Amino acid sequence: MSSSHPLAGGLSRRQFIDRLAAVGGVSLAMAGMDALGFGFASAQTTPPKLGSGKTAKVIVLGAGLAGLTAAYELSKAGYAVQVLEARDFAGGRCQTARKGFTHTDLTGAKQTCEFDEGLYLNHGPWRIPYHHGSVLHYTQTLGVPLELMVNDNDAAYVYFKKGSGPLAGKRLRRGELTADVRGQAAELMAKVAGKGDLDASLSAQDRALFVDYLVRDGALSAKDLSYDGAHGRGYLVKPGAGVDPGPGQPGKPYALTDILASGAWKALSDAATYDHPKTMFQAVGGMDMIAKAFVREIGPMIRYSAVVEKISQSPSGVTVAYRDAAGAKLEASADYCVCTIPLSVLSGVALDASAPFKAAMSACAYTPVNKIGLQMKRRFWEENHQIYGGHIHTDFSGVGNISLPSTGWQGRKGVVLGAYAFGGDAARVSALPPAARAALAIRAGQEIFPEYAENVENAFSFCWHLADFNLGGWGNWSPDARKESYPVLCEPDGRLYLAGEHLSYLGGWQAGAIESAWQQIAKIHARVQQA
Amino acid sequence: MTRTRPLILAALLAGLAPLDAQAQAQTPAALYNDNCSACHRPDGKGVKGAFPALSGNALVQGDPFGVAAVVLKGRNGMPSFKDELTDAQMANVLTYIRTSWGNKASRMHPGLIAAARARTNSAKGAIKAPSN
Repeated sequence: MSSSHPLAGGLSRRQFIDRLAAVGGVSLAMAGMDALGFGFASAQTTPPKLGSGKTAKVIVLGAGLAGLTAAYELSKAGYAVQVLEARDFAGGRCQTARKGFTHTDLTGAKQTCEFDEGLYLNHGPWRIPYHHGSVLHYTQTLGVPLELMVNDNDAAYVYFKKGSGPLAGKRLRRGELTADVRGQAAELMAKVAGKGDLDASLSAQDRALFVDYLVRDGALSAKDLSYDGAHGRGYLVKPGAGVDPGPGQPGKPYALTDILASGAWKALSDAATYDHPKTMFQAVGGMDMIAKAFVREIGPMIRYSAVVEKISQSPSGVTVAYRDAAGAKLEASADYCVCTIPLSVLSGVALDASAPFKAAMSACAYTPVNKIGLQMKRRFWEENHQIYGGHIHTDFSGVGNISLPSTGWQGRKGVVLGAYAFGGDAARVSALPPAARAALAIRAGQEIFPEYAENVENAFSFCWHLADFNLGGWGNWSPDARKESYPVLCEPDGRLYLAGEHLSYLGGWQAGAIESAWQQIAKIHARVQQA
Repeated sequence: MTRTRPLILAALLAGLAPLDAQAQAQTPAALYNDNCSACHRPDGKGVKGAFPALSGNALVQGDPFGVAAVVLKGRNGMPSFKDELTDAQMANVLTYIRTSWGNKASRMHPGLIAAARARTNSAKGAIKAPSN
């Protein structure tokens, strides 16, 4: 990101945006940032070119996307690769629950997914931002069909109960809310700017352009700079044919003060940030199609149901002791090791690494994450509410977003993501048995959709912090730990190289896992050339 | 699991207190069951190889600031609860943990938690878990 260039007239770009945020709210500031050309550095989008040269033997621990990436790229470059995977399937967190998928969590709760054939829940990663070029590199080159994942939907409801005023606990359409808050914020600012009070150092020319921008962005009347709603938010009676409905009847904006009091505006920064752009993808048929595509390429290298118990190093190599499905103790050795085991799990493995390295490992906390999928016998959100995909934002503790499927449009049934919770909320929900977790999600959904509970056929929930071999949704670095411990783990300890989303600034994203693996195998390859 | 037949569902819906109401239930045992028991288990014995037992745990029964720092900052697989629990709630739940299942350690007070927060708050408002 470049430093602030002064605007004509002397107001710095940063000051300008701070003012936008102060007066108009975050979404307006975001729009302002776009308009002023603030960019974001793009991530690595192609694997390192390992080319020819010397190779070595590498053992990869974990067949999640980091491990699969490392194994695929190294083996393509001629390395001898073995992958040990604790589960009896590949993918790590890149999992999809379908009919017959079973999961027993660490509390002993056992679930078997009962979704109808063809329906699924991505209880792990479920959306790919368009700028995660590393993921898209593999979906393209390995032939994984994608479809759009609706990450923003104007028709979706926002339902916030914890605020106050007439809009608290009211079902609001996201698009109406957005238009109203944006329009009224723009109106306020346009009127202030017109009087020359915004900032004396904003030049007359910039001020005029700024007002033009506000008029367009806020759907204001150019005549009196007022926001009346219709153009931005839509209609009470939709325009149509003839004279009835004819021009329709404009909607009446919600008052800015009511929107602010309700808290519903908090939902509006979603799908307006770098991590959560409007354009996202999902793999057709389930996110685990990505893992399956890797397995098509390197399947024979993976040893399943191999639970790592000890990692030892010598000056010349790495030896990994593991247990197979039958309980037999086995060993595998290699010149180097790429270890993608989550730090929460790795901290329970006997590990031959330096004391500072181990101390750094313990500095990463893992985020509890729950998802609850509900199979609905009818797509009432489409049929009755015209909501095609996207998220219902709520402030129900333990529920958070309710997300509607971006596939199977106008079909018969669908699986709704009935809850997606993190942190303490997730810890609290996961203390409940699966049926009670589902009931909690259903109760929340019922407040928003009267058709909700009567359409639920079955449920499947997944708590990542209670999942063996994961013990958490994703690594979470405090600012101090990010500064002091994270860089330690990005470098090898002897012949041990860690990789995974936890060793990236794309925490919890598949792109973080892939790009972390790319960095580490490039380091290994450079070292092998010098050996 | 959960062929959620309407009758069972209705019973569940009727019997379940809202999560927000649960979080406000102030008894120390309820606080523990809501926030901690999923991992550390209702009996404080944890899950072997995953989540440490709190029963008989030296850290839990040691320096009050040490155990408070873990709850405030998180560690290994454990998330931070600094934004989840008030000082009074954290003092209550820590007192419960330090005096249950055979544990014998001093009670904790809200003032101590506030002091521990001040110590660990070098990065104020830190650790906001991202969503994906």
